[in-house]
Amino acid sequence: MDEHHRRNQIFSIIAVACLFLFLLSMHLYADDYQIRILNNIALFIILAVSYNLINGVTGQFSLEPNAFVAIGAYTSALLTLTPAEKQMAFIIEPIIWPLSVIHVPFFLSLIAAGVVTAFFGFLMGFPVFRVRGDYLAIVTLGFGEVVRVVANNTQTITNGPLGLKGLANYTNLWWSWGIAAFTVFYIARLVRSSYGMAMKAVKYDEAAAESIGINAFKHKMLAFTTSAFFEGIGGGLLAHLITTISPTLFTFFLTFNLLIMIVAGGLGSITGSVIAAVVITWGGEALRVVEEPIRLGFIEIPGIPGMRMVLFSLILVLVMIFARQGLMGTREFTWNGLFRKIRAWTHRTAKES
Amino acid sequence: MEFFTVRNLTMKFGGLVAVNDFDITLKKGEIVGLIGPNGAGKTTVFNMIAGYYAPTSGTIHFQGKLLNGKKANEITRSGVARTFQNIRLFTELTVVENVMIAYHCRLRSTFLGAALRLPLYRREEKQMYEGAMEFLREVELEDLSREQAGSLPYGMQRRLEIARALATGPQLLLLDEPAAGMNPNETQDLLQLILRLREKYRLTVFLIEHDMKFVMQLCERIQVLDYGTTIASGTPEEIQQNERVIEAYLGEG
Ligand SMILES: Nc1ncnc2c1ncn2[C@@H]1O[C@H](COP(=O)(O)OP(=O)(O)OP(=O)(O)O)[C@@H](O)[C@H]1O
Ligand SMILES: [Mg+2]
Repeated sequence: MDEHHRRNQIFSIIAVACLFLFLLSMHLYADDYQIRILNNIALFIILAVSYNLINGVTGQFSLEPNAFVAIGAYTSALLTLTPAEKQMAFIIEPIIWPLSVIHVPFFLSLIAAGVVTAFFGFLMGFPVFRVRGDYLAIVTLGFGEVVRVVANNTQTITNGPLGLKGLANYTNLWWSWGIAAFTVFYIARLVRSSYGMAMKAVKYDEAAAESIGINAFKHKMLAFTTSAFFEGIGGGLLAHLITTISPTLFTFFLTFNLLIMIVAGGLGSITGSVIAAVVITWGGEALRVVEEPIRLGFIEIPGIPGMRMVLFSLILVLVMIFARQGLMGTREFTWNGLFRKIRAWTHRTAKES
Repeated sequence: MEFFTVRNLTMKFGGLVAVNDFDITLKKGEIVGLIGPNGAGKTTVFNMIAGYYAPTSGTIHFQGKLLNGKKANEITRSGVARTFQNIRLFTELTVVENVMIAYHCRLRSTFLGAALRLPLYRREEKQMYEGAMEFLREVELEDLSREQAGSLPYGMQRRLEIARALATGPQLLLLDEPAAGMNPNETQDLLQLILRLREKYRLTVFLIEHDMKFVMQLCERIQVLDYGTTIASGTPEEIQQNERVIEAYLGEG
């Protein structure tokens, strides 16, 4: 079907190699702060792209990522802590068996985080999608709060408000970017496959989709649980990046950030989500200055904590008003598209000269 | 075993009886028309058959199996495809994608297999594309396969919707006003198209249409609805001479 298949494959390999070299040089020369930002970027790529699968591609507006990330983070953390560490950490009440004795390598804990989160996604999605999609936003919003409350109160599993401290700092550039690359690769392919087309069909017109034999319920569930799987893995990475987790970490704020990313990037565009995750995560760091005191000549403006949030909200509002489609709309980056653009551009400049 | 039978089908919306005790039997390979004034309940009959409305009472049997209570997608997969009165294409997708999607319900690849593009999926994707192009050729849209579906003129969108329905592999095809918005030439082409498709894919066609010339030329049998009730059924000649039908139509205008 595509005469440029070989060429595109080669370019994809070159792109991955470039990413690798970039990460390698950062690994060797960048300072801790820069590395942390890079890890954050990878993490938000994972979270935004998988969130986009249900909200953008399948068009089911939901607000649960903070819950999924929390479940993934706790699952993974409880599995990588050694039994001795767990015994030490759970000072109010001891941790229940068998969590008290299980101890697995980091990678397995991430897989487990994905699977457990996907399972919760399934449990939540089933009744909601069965009945009516309209309630999804409310139910998922509530779910995020429920998870936080549960995490706060199940002392013997989550250690309650004390949280889990002293996790190994496993998440390095290779883990975060390796998994980000896989997530993007997998979800992009999924979206291009006929399953992805069916998900889009459900978004555009559910009745029409059903008329051609597409089980809308099944495809919503597939999108939702897949999204949960990757959000859960992202949670596991997050836990082992910041090494301390507690219920207060997983507020709606996280979901809100991701929502801005997928809307700004374009609901339904994987490319858009990736770009937005990079720009907004990085921009968010750069914008820290607005929360610090600023001196303008004689006037000193005191730092206003939360100012970045105001700016983010403003971005979201502006996008909603002036660019409803976001950066990419539903378009995706393709090599063919890039080469078409380059050809058109060289053609134009050749004509002008 | 009857091919397709509907018995005592009734649909009430609150106090309104949209369809009352509707009966029909279709033999394999027939082309049957359903006509009646605006608001007579024709589309409601289709919506019940296709699983969009749950009938208040009555039964629908297709090849010996009860369709009542099944979901729309299950009914399609059991071999009953439909088009919509107010065309419902995926306007943002391309013409060929609109037809390719209709193969999805017959896909054997798993979710993982498709995302990872395993060999079975790649084979199936090729079949999907080639099959979709075949149906597009059938409805003379293959040259426009890469256009956005929403950019096509009305008549072409109607034909595309038929191609999409066909790609689900139906035995019974429900067409809701397929000639609406077409000019006389297009209508004649559509008539030939439906006859050709019936032969080639061994279809049974049940259609709603307001264009009387079209219905009389195409259909072997016609059933007439008025205020939800069947007032006549028979051959086109019988229907044309039926007093009650003439009255219903005159009363309308
Ligand atoms: N979902 C619904 N809820 C309430 N009333 C409905 C619904 N669907 C149809 N009706 C009513 O049922 C009656 C029959 O409608 P239907 O669409 O079946 O008519 P029709 O014969 O297809 O008409 P037309 O030729 O205009 O398409 C109308 O009075 C309509 O308003
Ligand atoms: Mg109608």
